[in-house]
This record gives sequence, structure tokens and C-alpha cells, in this order.
Amino acid sequence: MFAESALNIRNKRVQNLFRILFLMMTVLLIIPVVIILATLVAKGGSIISIDFLFTDPTNGMTAGGIFPALLGTVWIVAVALLASVPLGVAAAIYLNEYAGDNWFTRIIQLAIINLAGVPSIVHALFGVGAFVIFFGFGTSILAASLTLAIMTLPVVIVSTRESLRAVPQAFREACWNMGATRWQTIRRVVLPNAVSGILTGVILEVSRTTGETAPIMFTGAAFFLPFLPQGVFDQTMALSLHLFVVATQVPGVPDNLPFGVALVLIAMVLLMNSISIAFRMYLRGKKKW
Amino acid sequence: MNATAKAMSEPVAEYAIRTSKLNLWYGTFQALFDVDLNICNGMITSLIGPSGCGKSTLLRSVNRINERLGYVRIEGNIDVMDKNIYDPDVELVQVRKQIGMVFQRPNPLPISIRDNILFGHRIHNKDLKSSKSDQNEIVESALKQVLLWDKVKDRLNQKGTELSLEEQQKLCIARLLPVKPSVLLMDEPCSALDPKGTAAVEELIWELRGEYTILIVTHNMAQARRASEECIFMLMGKVVEHQATEDLFVTPEQKETADYIEGRYG
Repeated sequence: MFAESALNIRNKRVQNLFRILFLMMTVLLIIPVVIILATLVAKGGSIISIDFLFTDPTNGMTAGGIFPALLGTVWIVAVALLASVPLGVAAAIYLNEYAGDNWFTRIIQLAIINLAGVPSIVHALFGVGAFVIFFGFGTSILAASLTLAIMTLPVVIVSTRESLRAVPQAFREACWNMGATRWQTIRRVVLPNAVSGILTGVILEVSRTTGETAPIMFTGAAFFLPFLPQGVFDQTMALSLHLFVVATQVPGVPDNLPFGVALVLIAMVLLMNSISIAFRMYLRGKKKW
Repeated sequence: MNATAKAMSEPVAEYAIRTSKLNLWYGTFQALFDVDLNICNGMITSLIGPSGCGKSTLLRSVNRINERLGYVRIEGNIDVMDKNIYDPDVELVQVRKQIGMVFQRPNPLPISIRDNILFGHRIHNKDLKSSKSDQNEIVESALKQVLLWDKVKDRLNQKGTELSLEEQQKLCIARLLPVKPSVLLMDEPCSALDPKGTAAVEELIWELRGEYTILIVTHNMAQARRASEECIFMLMGKVVEHQATEDLFVTPEQKETADYIEGRYG
């Protein structure tokens, strides 16, 4: 009565086939990551040292360190965050907590989705037109950062909205029915519970911004600069562009230099991602409802 | 005792809630038809009726939550303490302060028990800086009124969301009290609780009568009978019968009421 039938056997075989197929696809996914990391460590690991991180490039960028580029990237990312986070979080709060579902908010949604789909080189050219020329910021950290900020705005808005949505509606109802205004509700209940998600989103955005090249190469990042930036109206070197330069534009660069630069860049991104994940786990563990 | 003190200091309306010719539409669907009710001050009144009869809709129009949906249209009056809460000069925040609401699922805020109790107080008394000892008093008195003080007095900093469902529901009632509402609306406050929790919350509701006017929606007829003084039976958006609870269950005047309480439908 409970014995295996021929049909059972066939079904099980098919089921196994698909399981293995999907497993293989998953493994396939990891391979490029492993190869990239392994190659970078193998070919560029030898050059990494404290000196490499904290000295200037020398001999026409064929030797020395990457300090100006590293510092420049930190500048650009920091200024971009200062611009995009307040704007993006505010927009997300409006869309999620205040706006109703009408034609106006739908148009905004559509704009956000489209903004996310614009290729980075188009953002770059927009940045040149808007920030470098129209607003007269020149090629500067400010212009580069604002360009990046606009590019990453959709990510900030979407991830912030996700975090806001994760706060149960019942909490809002509870506040409203005690006579709290929208703002009191947001400030006292919604934001404190969404802040972990918002921060995670922000850190992920940082890691993206770090690696962008196209949007900054016309707007603020320099090929080579013999001095460090003093303010947001200065040009600066940046890691991503520096990698492009030493890998393709300068003759006579030793093999391990570009790999070393790439390793530093990817390490920065991975470090920030890990911080964001650890942070999220920590805050989730504390949350109880 | 408190109720008599109130009665001596100021004239108190005989009826806490009066509706006249109340009609309500969700879009084109009419949910309430000419509802005329007088709900006595300081009493517990229960609203019973089969699902979809409009009892929750009625409850929710008494503190104007319905209008949040956007497609709700209301005609007629709802007077709370002799003031139509749909008048243009009525401030919604004051409505919500005067008329507290308890939900089916307990919804304490994810903050400490103490902060849950003080939440409403803090919202409505922004400019009055209340001292720590005042706050402690508020917390203690609210928790005592809901018979929760002895259980939680040593862990007031624990999150409200970590309590048992029964305790959460009591906390949700307690946090309404510091702002001194005149009316408490309860939308099936025990339906998420087990029998023991139900009994405990019913006991608490009974304790609160006299001091607050309580309007309670319930699916549970035994509960309406145990825990209310007056009872309203609704059917298809209309009020069929409104009587003292005991009379309604023992000698219903309308045939529909009799059929419903004997379990012939609903």
C-alpha cells in the first residue's frame, strides 16, 4: 500500500535533477567572486603596506603609494553622503508617511525608478552641465559629489522606504489614536524603529559610491595631482579613477601596482558591507515585537 | 466615587454619546442607516450583531478614524458630551484625546512600559514640564487602575511588546487613562486573548465603569451579557434594539434580536 510506484521514482528523479541544476547555478555565481578576490590578493597583495596606503605616488605614478587617491575617495564619498542622505531620507519619509496614493506620488515614484535606470555616464554628463558649468562649481569635489549624490538618491529613497514600511502599521495607529500628529508619530515611534534599516541602506550606498568612476572623472576627479584637496572646491584624485589610470594610461607601471589599488578599493567596499551587515544583525537582535 | 465628584463640580451630560440620523457610506456602499442612539454617561454599553452589521463602523466613527480611509462620507451628527465631533471647529487631536480607542489586537508601542503609559501624557502636555515624581505617580495610578501594577512594578523599563497578550491589552487601556478621556471605545478587546485573559480584561473593564463611558464591540454574546450594562443590537447597518443588557437577553422586543441571541444566525 505504501510501496514506491514507478511514477514516484520518476518524479523523484526529476526533482533531484532540478535540485542539482539550481545548486550548480548557485555555485557558478560564487566562482567569479572567488576568482576576482584570489587574483587580486595573489597579484596585488605583495604591494600592500602602510607606506603604500599613506604615501604619494612617485615616478610618474609608476611607484609610491596611493594616499591622495584614497583621501580623495573619502572626501568625495563623504560629501556625496551629506547631500544625498538628508534629501533621500526626507523624500522617503514624505512618500511613506504623508503622501497618499495619487497621481502626484505616482509620478514621483516613476521618476525615482527612472532615475535609478539612468546610465552612470549620462549622470556624469548631467553633472558637467549642471554642477561644473551652470552652477559654476568647476571640476571639484563638490561637483563630483553632487553628481554621485543624484545617482545614489534612488537607492537611499528605496532602502529608507523599505525600512519605514517594516515598522508595523499598528504602532502608527496606536499613536494616531492617542492624538499624536504625523510628525510626533514619526519622530517618537517610526524613526527610532526604522533607523537601523536606514543606516544599513546608507552604508550600502557608500560602498557603491566608492567604486563609481564615470560620474566623477568629468566632474571632479583628476588624473594626477601633486597636492591634497583643501576644500570642496578643489579637484582631487580618487581611487577608482586612479585604478583606471595606472592600469591603462601610464606606461611602465609594475604589475602589482594596479592590482594593489584594486585590492584596496574592493577591501574598502567589502569592509563597509560587512560593517553594515554586522550592524543590521546587532540591531535586529535588539528589536523585539 | 470619582464619578460623583465629577458630577458635583460640573454639570455632566446625561448621555456621553448621542447620534442622530447618522448615515455612513464607504464609497457607494451604505454601511449605516439613520442610526439614532443615546449612550449613557459612565456606563458600559456593548454593541452586538453579526459580522458586517456596522457595529465596528459605528464605533470607529465615534473617534473619527474612519475618515482616514478617504472614501468615507458621513451625514448626521455624533455628539460626544453634547458637542458634535464633526463640527468644523472641532480639533481632531482633542477628539482623539477625549475618546480613547482599544483595538482587537493589543498594540503597545515598542518602548518601555513606563514610556507607553506616559506617551499620551507627553503628547498632550508638551509645555507643562512634569517632574519625575509626577510621572511616577501617573504611571502608578494608570497601572493600578488596570490591575497591572503589582505584576509589572519591578520591571517598568521592560518593553511593552514583551508582555503577555493579556498584559499588553491592559497596558493599551492603561495608556489611555493619563490624559483623562471621557469615552473609551473598544473594538473586540478580548478576541485575541485566551479565556483567562478575557476574564481578566473583562474584570478590568467592569472596574472602569462609572469613571469612563465605555462602548464595546463584541462578537461574544456571553461577554456582552457579562460585561455590559446596556446592549445595542445592530443588523444590516440599522439599530434594531437598544435596552438594558439583562432585558435585551431575557425579553428581547424584536424578533431579529431574539433570533440572533438564540443563535439562529450570525
